[in-house]
Amino acid sequence: MIQERRILYEHLDVPGINTFDVFRQYDGYKRFEKTLDEYQPDEIADMVMKSGLKGRGGAGFSTGLKWSFVPRDIEPRYLCCNADESEPGTFSNRYVLEKNPHLLIEGILICCYAMGIHTTYIYIRGEFTLGKRMLDQAIAEAYEHGYLGKDILGKGFDLDVYSHPGAGAYICGEETGLIESLEGKRGQPRNKPPFPAVSGVFNKPTVVQNVETLCNLPFIVDKGVEWYTSMGPTYGDTRFDPPQADQNTGTKLYCISGDVEKPGVYELDLGLTCEELIEVAGGLRGDRVKAVIPGGSSAPILAHYELDTRLDFTSLTLAKSMLGSGGIIVMNDTRNIVDCLLNIMKFYAHESCGQCTPCRWGTPWVRDIVQRIADGEGRTSTITRPKFGVTENGRWGDTGEIEEIYEDLDLLESVANNIANVDTMTWNTICVFGIAVSWPAVSYMRKFRPEFEACIREGKLVTLPVDEATVPPEENYAYQQRIIPKLLET
Amino acid sequence: MSDELIHIETPFEFSESNRQEVNELIQRYPVKEAAMLPVLHVAQKQAGYITPGVMRHVAELLEVSVMKVKDVVTFYPMFFEEPVGEYVIRVCYTLPCALRDCKLVLDHLKEKLGTDIASETDLAKGTTGDGKFTILKSECLASCDVAPVMMVNDDLYKNLTPEKVDEILGGLT
Repeated sequence: MIQERRILYEHLDVPGINTFDVFRQYDGYKRFEKTLDEYQPDEIADMVMKSGLKGRGGAGFSTGLKWSFVPRDIEPRYLCCNADESEPGTFSNRYVLEKNPHLLIEGILICCYAMGIHTTYIYIRGEFTLGKRMLDQAIAEAYEHGYLGKDILGKGFDLDVYSHPGAGAYICGEETGLIESLEGKRGQPRNKPPFPAVSGVFNKPTVVQNVETLCNLPFIVDKGVEWYTSMGPTYGDTRFDPPQADQNTGTKLYCISGDVEKPGVYELDLGLTCEELIEVAGGLRGDRVKAVIPGGSSAPILAHYELDTRLDFTSLTLAKSMLGSGGIIVMNDTRNIVDCLLNIMKFYAHESCGQCTPCRWGTPWVRDIVQRIADGEGRTSTITRPKFGVTENGRWGDTGEIEEIYEDLDLLESVANNIANVDTMTWNTICVFGIAVSWPAVSYMRKFRPEFEACIREGKLVTLPVDEATVPPEENYAYQQRIIPKLLET
Repeated sequence: MSDELIHIETPFEFSESNRQEVNELIQRYPVKEAAMLPVLHVAQKQAGYITPGVMRHVAELLEVSVMKVKDVVTFYPMFFEEPVGEYVIRVCYTLPCALRDCKLVLDHLKEKLGTDIASETDLAKGTTGDGKFTILKSECLASCDVAPVMMVNDDLYKNLTPEKVDEILGGLT
């Protein structure tokens, strides 16, 4: 069985690790000192680029690349740490903030040193009251010991870190929504471009990074790029000739919840399969897996025969899903997919920020359709397909058959695809919230169509056995189209 | 204009310690307006909810229009514009909690406190007659491994069962 490799979470359970003194005993801030002593800022940025670290917040964008977009000649620049963890199924940042906040501060110090940033705002979820208290204590201690403030450790580097509480809006986890919210406005995302790297908070260049991404930095600096890239698979991107390296390096804090025996956060190398992860999490609770959501509730669902998909950025993207924030939700055979979709759609209908019309109206519309199906009031209608031939009375005419269609399912797909089209990956909204709505809506409906049809046909919520509820592999478009990436041969 | 149409506001002032905290918060940002959320959190803690008086005071403090403050207050679910109970109970109902029977917890709470679930537009509906408790449905509280969960004011309670809810409520009253 695959073993956990604890790096970020290594000292998480040490009592008192949230205090400066204990953190110091476990190499705390030594990695930052090493950074200051041994490396120039550009060398750190170069290391991060080579390490292949990808943003852990959801989009999986290369951190080094993001840093390279930031113009170095505009002052001041800002770092916003995204601790607004609100994707259903994700809960790894909470533990870092509550138990080991100094690790985050060390990561911030290294990032700011590399980027020449002197002010950081940590946007922390309003509901994380304990996390904020711990973080504020840690920030105060770091100031006290001279690791934050003016002229840190006498090396002439200044940094101020402030925590900024959110107020319960999911959309503030989107980077431009976060920036708007940080500026004291409604958290409605901005149009891109300009990207935050060029014009972000207070219209200055801004780096927005997730907590987990920043926490990786001390270890990359300490143990080197080679060590970091030895973890996780590197695939060959065959769009290039010769294939280019597509790195999925490092460990990931996989958050697994739902129907497993031991839900929780498991730190594992990227690239294990879904089945393996369920095994690590103590196995399934129930008889069979019905479905797995691989990356927070926005990610398209995986059917039971898709569990051999590796959980890393590349493999899941090629399987027409996403790793997102690494929140895996497992559902066993007693669950009803229509009910699950209804729950998720209620969430999105509530959290739409109301800025773009397709999302503001489309999201509640999708919710209402699913609600109707779940209530047993799903609509069907009949269409006539014209076909010419000899009719009953022996004359030439229309012999078309009347066909019954599931009107609500077509409507559901049409509405969702008009918020964001999941096939062409284009969205009619400003931010990616649109795609986060239509992805689950369309994928659940396509992959579990028999269950949706049964609910409409029977006029009540019907839970079918796994095999009957899922469309067979040969009819599953996403499954047919999926590509399994090959490891890069060196 | 007749007298009834004049909107009556109760004036609001920060307490001495809160005033210091608020001034310190404003110092953190290059633009005063950016301190909006933290300042509103402090104000809500003091006043219980965001009254029109609070909005006016915060607007003056941050040098923005009252409308802008109202704009923000109406957007974020954590700010209340109506009085709420002494204990605000947020029960998570998102998918991971739903898979672990959060409905039992919600139903039990409703029955035990004899009140409905508050909606954002009607908080009174979910507040008990004595003004002690308000029940709210909450979005994912990022504790899916210990589902179902609820927050009572600032404290998170994990792995809930109806019995455990009784115990928690017993400890509060």
